[in-house]
Amino acid sequence: MLVLTGDADQSILSAAVQFCRSVDGRLYVLFVIEPNRVSRLASLTHQKVKFVQDKTEEAGWQLLYLIEDEAVENGVWTSLHLEEGNLMHVINRYVDSYQIDALLTKRKDEAKKIFVSSSITVVGL
Amino acid sequence: MQLKISDYLKPEAIIMEMKAKEKIAAINELVAHMVKNKLVDDGKEFINALAKRENLESTGIGDGIAIPHARTNAVRALVLAFARSPDGIDFSSIDGKPSHIIFLIASPENMKSEYILALAKLSRLLRKRAVRELLRNAKDPDEIMEIIKKNEE
Repeated sequence: MLVLTGDADQSILSAAVQFCRSVDGRLYVLFVIEPNRVSRLASLTHQKVKFVQDKTEEAGWQLLYLIEDEAVENGVWTSLHLEEGNLMHVINRYVDSYQIDALLTKRKDEAKKIFVSSSITVVGL
Repeated sequence: MQLKISDYLKPEAIIMEMKAKEKIAAINELVAHMVKNKLVDDGKEFINALAKRENLESTGIGDGIAIPHARTNAVRALVLAFARSPDGIDFSSIDGKPSHIIFLIASPENMKSEYILALAKLSRLLRKRAVRELLRNAKDPDEIMEIIKKNEE
């Protein structure tokens, strides 16, 4: 499973797809919108929370479909998910629900948090 | 990039009550409808591209929605189609529920940005419960168009 947040960038795409291809794995891609971060960003940029929320969601879907497009071209099975809530809670729910056995993430601070609280392999890309 | 779903979905690409009861039959029915209305050049190639995707992913995004999609040169521009299934169709949705609203998106191979943006905009639009309810209760294609136009702003 690949975990993304509003801070993720496109550089993660190829690495995640190639990783899944090399281990013949299925790729569950999860984009998490964290309300706290959205509120903080709205406050910092003097924009309405709803506007930032909509932009974040649209950017999230774009990232998800970009990964899916690359995955399909490489013959990697993919499932896209966009969720709102606390990052760790959402991740734990997905790990349990989909029998995830490895987790990839871009941000190093997230990797540390996830590594501490998760029972599965965490890879910081 | 500015892109509006309502600029690409045409009333003639809307099926208010789909006959198909399963996924591949649903895709065939939608594509046949698009070919009949001259929205797609090569129906066979289009179906192959969509079927390839369906084998590698679940296009059922949950909440009764499926968005089968493909980049293929069977189409000359970004095209969208809409269908409603009263009984629902199994699109292997992530929440296990049948899909009652099916949006199909396709673009030529070289229109990746528009294609990704259209998928993102549509997915965001359909996450709104109120929009889903309105689409499920709309009476005709014009009302479907109006709902999309009004809610994507």
